[in-house]
Amino acid sequence: MSSSASAHPQDLKRVAAELMTRADRLCRNALDAGADQAEVYAVRSQSVGVGFEKGDLKLSQVDDGSTLGVRVFKGGKLGFASTNQSSDAALATAASDALTLCALNPPDEANRLPETRPAAPDLNLVDPAIQELGIEEVVDHGQRFMDRAQAHDARLSIDKASVDLRIGTHCFVNSEGAELSESDANLSASIFGMAVDGDDVGGFHYTGDHVRNAERIDAAFAHCADEFAEVCIDNLKTGAAESYNGPVLFAPDAVLELFVSPVISAVSAIAVQRGRSALKGKLGEAIAGANFQLLDDPTDRLLAGAASFDREGQPIGAFPIVEDGVLKSYLYNSYAAAVEGKASTGHAVGGPRGLPGLGPHAVSMAGGSGGDRDALLGALAKGLYVMRFSGTIDPASGDFSGVAKSARWVENGRVVRSVRETLISGNAFELLRRFVAMSTEAPTLNAAARAPWALVDGVSVTAG
Amino acid sequence: MQTQDPTDLLAEALAKKAGGFVELRFHRRRTRSVAVEKGRVDSSKISEHTGVGVRVLEDGTWGFASTDRIESGTIEQAIDNARRAARASAARRKQRTPDLPHVELARGRFDAPGLELIDKPIDEALAMVLRLEENARKSSTAIQSASSSYTELYEEKGIVTSDGAKAWTRLVRPEFRIVAIAGDAGEIQRGRESVGATGNWDCLFHHNTAEAMTDRAAKTAVDLLKAGYPTGGRKRVLLSPQLVGILTHEAIGHTVEADFVASGSCARGKLGTRVGSDLVTLCDSGISEFHEGAGGSLPVDDEGVPTQRTTIIENGKLVSYLHDRESAAAFGVEPTGNARAWEYDDEPLIRMRNTYIAPGEQSYDELIAGIDDGLLLDGAANGQADANGEFMFGTLIARPIKNGKLGELQRGVNISGQAFDVLGSVDGVSSEFRWDLGSGYCGKGQPAKVDAGGPWVSCEVLVGGRQA
Repeated sequence: MSSSASAHPQDLKRVAAELMTRADRLCRNALDAGADQAEVYAVRSQSVGVGFEKGDLKLSQVDDGSTLGVRVFKGGKLGFASTNQSSDAALATAASDALTLCALNPPDEANRLPETRPAAPDLNLVDPAIQELGIEEVVDHGQRFMDRAQAHDARLSIDKASVDLRIGTHCFVNSEGAELSESDANLSASIFGMAVDGDDVGGFHYTGDHVRNAERIDAAFAHCADEFAEVCIDNLKTGAAESYNGPVLFAPDAVLELFVSPVISAVSAIAVQRGRSALKGKLGEAIAGANFQLLDDPTDRLLAGAASFDREGQPIGAFPIVEDGVLKSYLYNSYAAAVEGKASTGHAVGGPRGLPGLGPHAVSMAGGSGGDRDALLGALAKGLYVMRFSGTIDPASGDFSGVAKSARWVENGRVVRSVRETLISGNAFELLRRFVAMSTEAPTLNAAARAPWALVDGVSVTAG
Repeated sequence: MQTQDPTDLLAEALAKKAGGFVELRFHRRRTRSVAVEKGRVDSSKISEHTGVGVRVLEDGTWGFASTDRIESGTIEQAIDNARRAARASAARRKQRTPDLPHVELARGRFDAPGLELIDKPIDEALAMVLRLEENARKSSTAIQSASSSYTELYEEKGIVTSDGAKAWTRLVRPEFRIVAIAGDAGEIQRGRESVGATGNWDCLFHHNTAEAMTDRAAKTAVDLLKAGYPTGGRKRVLLSPQLVGILTHEAIGHTVEADFVASGSCARGKLGTRVGSDLVTLCDSGISEFHEGAGGSLPVDDEGVPTQRTTIIENGKLVSYLHDRESAAAFGVEPTGNARAWEYDDEPLIRMRNTYIAPGEQSYDELIAGIDDGLLLDGAANGQADANGEFMFGTLIARPIKNGKLGELQRGVNISGQAFDVLGSVDGVSSEFRWDLGSGYCGKGQPAKVDAGGPWVSCEVLVGGRQA
């Protein structure tokens, strides 16, 4: 490996071809060992990273590795094995391990590969200006990111921060003739720490971002550093909240955790089929207020989950989950779809070290018409503003209970102090109908998803 | 299924690339797992992940590289890559890391007990999870669904350093989980039990049989359908050994990791001061204390330091932090064997192993009898601690205690508090002790297999019930 993660843009074609050759070989091994059907998912990841600890550069790291996972079906039975070793012997062992497990398992009529479908358009996820970054440039980006955060206030204690360049190529091949590959190059930043002022230690905060377009790096990382610093400083000098049951303003992170995550768990077709979804039987019904819109959008290049095919090689695109508060669809991978005699919706997810799971790729909750965060603070007038939730959410029932982190007390529509030891609880599915207002903007959250600020009524607040 | 000792290969590569501090860590993980839900096999897999991680200290700066090829030439290339990474960033390093002081490092072969498990056919685990999932599902008409899984991590590590470590360790960690979901009139509740160990199935099911765990999970799910919520507020609670484990891990353990202390955690500057009541002695150990099988046991850490028991709090006084070699040198103490890396391509970080509060002298019944108005809490959900010592963790069930008597089952709640305030409020510690978080994974950028536990402990916390 040279000092950059990948020496040349065109090298990615060679990387994909080599990976595909190994994937093909493993697929053939599985068929030769007796599988009725086989599929191989392979990922190669080349990365260069720099880590900071306690405000100082700690370690630079260079990695290059690949992993192949093989799923086999025989007589309706399932087996899976993975390896990160590339020798012929290792690939033969993986195929043999998968078949050994396959022989032990009970048959299931839904165990079969999905039909091969035409590929979705290439998303072009590699910016050569990102791909060609060398280790010195990654270190420079890391240092600028650190300096930007630290420059805000001497009371900041940056426990850990990192900037990482990752160039990934994933390939999919199966015994039904599917052959797909795609590459992705991104630079990501993350930061974790708190503010310390004498004996006053503020609650920690963490944030990050993930950039595919070199022109966005400086602005995205600066925004990330600024937001981190401001929240940490504001976490100092905490006071008490008040106990009540009523409206609470949630920042996008908390909206995602408390309200979007339970919906995502409940729209899994497997959760519905197996009796652990609170949204079973609710297709076509209003499950939330008319202002609630939820989409899975893997074509959104600002989100880390952008891709053109899923873990089973199915083409993927924008997919509405909740529109105007009405549940539009459950999510299916090929197994869940086969149980109901349907086609997969392209929601097989996961890496090469495990069987395909089921879930969304790039969740996007739309904003509303409530203006910006300050307008929603005004609408709250008096009560709790929660930026992050640290607690338990039961995905089956929707019950949640936990600590409001980086939380603020609001009076007369303005933040008056940070608060500590404040617990919130409620039921996510009941509260979906009690969204009073949402911000117009729905920012990306660590490039994992999009969500707006939301003012939600009926939340139980217990102050310590 | 066992690999040949790789330490000679590592030593050979290191000899060809001698100069400065170099640490080579071979790591092979073979994972076998099966998972069943509602009568269907969801997952049945064998996964191999093997490679060598290289860490160097060059120009007072750390460099790291890894390779998945176990050959002398590629390991030497990884050493070059790690040095290149260190040099590329050395100019940015403000405080150069001095050479690590000499410490006694491990040499030889270290096999944890129970390695015969890896030769046990996976059929037995598959039969067990299929049978128990069915038992749970058929135990009540209210049970809508059940799932069960078994995972087994087999680990081989070879650690060779330029200052003397040459250790080859092997261990196996099995885990078992059962979840039952009950439903009635649109209400859904779940009961769950899990266990993890370092060792064989005798260690795994030392405290409870898999059948007993299954029965309990199903009964809890059904009983919770009719249970109410506790009211919120500051209360005296009796924490189960599992919850004491998560308290020690989340609320105390993270704040005394030396890297977090240096960043300003609430434990900074408190060595030698009182942080808990006299009844509290809290330790972290690489050894399975009291009985075999604790899930975070390891004979040698990932810097080649032999592990030991570290007393963190002794009779209420903070006496030690948890260290790797670099932090120990900075604090002027001996390393405690807490450097751990999840996989070969992860750098070692300061992590806990088996963390616990030492048992006391009271019985469980005496502790209940001593509480006039409080709650018994059991079943850990999840947990998190903050830099300022504020912690949160979820519980599965609660039972009110009134005038020394236990009341009817209630739904679990989240509890919160300031770590050292809560330890200061401890007024009762049972003689019964249990490891009870062996199926857990700690997250700190990378996962780590840990365990935690303790006795039943009476203390005061903030309970997050419902406001009217």
